[in-house]
Amino acid sequence: MALAAMLALAGCNAADQGGNAQAGGAPGGPPPLPPYQMRAEMAAGDRLHTAMSGEDLFSNRCGACHLDGGMGTNLLIGQQVALGRPPSMGLLTNRDDLAADYVKSVARMGKGAMPRQTRVDVTDSELDKIAAYLGKGK
Amino acid sequence: MKLTLPPRMSPQGFDAAVKALQGAVGAGWVMTTDEDRDAYADIYAPGPETLWGASGAVAPSTVEEVQAVVRIANEHKLPLWTVARGKNLGYGTAAPRMPGSMVLDLGRMDKILELDPALGYCVIEPGVGFLDLYERIQREKLPLMMSVPGNGWGSVLGNALDHGIGYTPYGVHAKNLCGMEVVLGTGDLVRTGLGAMGNNQASHLFPFNYGPSWDQMFTQSNLGIVTKAGMWLMPEPESSLELNLDIPEVEDIGWVIDTLTPLKLGGIIDQSIFVPSWLGKMVILGQRKDFWDKPGAIPDWRVAELLKEHKLGYWKVQIRVYGDEAVNKAKAAVIKAAFKKHIATPMEEVWWRKGDPTNVMDTTLGVPSAVPLQMGDWVGGKSAHMGFSPVVPATSKHVLDQMNRSRKIIAAHDVDFYASFTIGGRFANNVNMLMYDRDKPEQVEGIKKLFNALIADAAANGYAEYRTHLGWMDAIADTFDFNNHAMRRMTETVKDALDPNGILSPGKQGIWPKAYADQRGKALA
Repeated sequence: MALAAMLALAGCNAADQGGNAQAGGAPGGPPPLPPYQMRAEMAAGDRLHTAMSGEDLFSNRCGACHLDGGMGTNLLIGQQVALGRPPSMGLLTNRDDLAADYVKSVARMGKGAMPRQTRVDVTDSELDKIAAYLGKGK
Repeated sequence: MKLTLPPRMSPQGFDAAVKALQGAVGAGWVMTTDEDRDAYADIYAPGPETLWGASGAVAPSTVEEVQAVVRIANEHKLPLWTVARGKNLGYGTAAPRMPGSMVLDLGRMDKILELDPALGYCVIEPGVGFLDLYERIQREKLPLMMSVPGNGWGSVLGNALDHGIGYTPYGVHAKNLCGMEVVLGTGDLVRTGLGAMGNNQASHLFPFNYGPSWDQMFTQSNLGIVTKAGMWLMPEPESSLELNLDIPEVEDIGWVIDTLTPLKLGGIIDQSIFVPSWLGKMVILGQRKDFWDKPGAIPDWRVAELLKEHKLGYWKVQIRVYGDEAVNKAKAAVIKAAFKKHIATPMEEVWWRKGDPTNVMDTTLGVPSAVPLQMGDWVGGKSAHMGFSPVVPATSKHVLDQMNRSRKIIAAHDVDFYASFTIGGRFANNVNMLMYDRDKPEQVEGIKKLFNALIADAAANGYAEYRTHLGWMDAIADTFDFNNHAMRRMTETVKDALDPNGILSPGKQGIWPKAYADQRGKALA
């Protein structure tokens, strides 16, 4: 599906991040979409006892939707803005209000448009690391 | 979700099968908790998820492990339901057709075995996602361009095997498959095409067998488990030009199709041309309630207002040509002249040249994206969608005929009309997205009634669906009725010969093995 209509929210987010947006964009027009966000590579090894960092695991296992311009980010921007928070809070990595157990629960139980993640999508060991990373130790 | 056992299997029998599977793939890769069963359920199920509930999932990582799983399944009469990455959203996700089947999740088989920029192909395992392949091509800076579907979260092979479509010249994905490795229902291993010769050098380049060709037999199929396959990839073009045009009125789709099809057949346009209706643009701008806060379909007068407010046409034509700049310019002149006969508005031109950046949603430039799935949020609540997808001849007569009938039926069921036509050659895939809130039982019932009405109407007029949800696989199979369903009879004969215990994906696309023939017509939506 080629969606040329500009994603105003994603653009806001890119601008808010001050980083990844492409240069240009029509003056007065909607902001340009960010470029594709490369995910961290999966390291070889036993995924049931992962040695990867929470940051890299988040990027790879959650990055299809939760990086800049991703579907999950776009939807969360809307939700966060409705709560009076800045658009940058659409990126899970910018959030300071996530508890590790909550992250695990959303990944396994799903939430809104977010489908439940199987243990092949993300193993328990991987999810522990991701939850700790996003939960910032909470 | 509580455990549903496969037909005729005892709890003790199930436990024994699970134990054997654990021995084959490791205990951590056999998943049978209630939470696991939930994770493999159809998140968009039109009705209770338990209708298509898996008993669990097993995830092998090698072809040898797949063979071991198949042998165990035969021994214990454990039906398997094979998925590549299990992201068949709108058609059942990872859930099995027959409740109690064990999902055979190939997501761990994610190796890119070959990637050849000179001849433009790759050999990959089923767990390789569009993002994985895209990122590998980018990291190695290879001059290749992928064809990606609306949902880039899924598997490259899984999508092609289920007849998925994309929007580049390689958009009919099943046609790009070349040379497969397949585990049969007995656990035997075959390679199709020239790969049937053990050391063949052109296994993924020449599309035929010596003798009958079998590749397509394993697509939308329960006749084997594809464990790797060759996929052709387009050489990255020097440039690409996008020609955009908003088409004002719903009936204009007729002349649009009659303009595009000759250009496609004549080789001026190589891509699979995607023509979505306005709602395809609207779903990413917000939720339905932001534009229309009443239940029931958005009335025509409000649609007209919305199109004006958001400067949209009823349809969006986005044509992309690929290749050398001079050739693209010449093609653009032909295309513009063809459209000028019908509409004065000039086409917007957007050039891309090799090395230029792409954005996160450039699907026609082969960038995988999950953003189109945002439509899942359109109706709010527990948003879900289903696709009603008849194939029609690519002429105005057929396109208008199908569209007018389905539009009338969709309106009569008070559901928003969101159609697209993708011209893949002499045919168009007409995908109608039907969006509903799963938390509202009346919406679920309404969507089911609507879907049944659409299938019956299309079949009565000679149009068939190319793909469908689990709950309608039997119903669609029934519409292929020539000579007392001769094709189904033939396929089921082959099925029983290749998979005597019927353990591979029983019921897939309405093909039931003898062992589970009593399940036909059960667990319907």
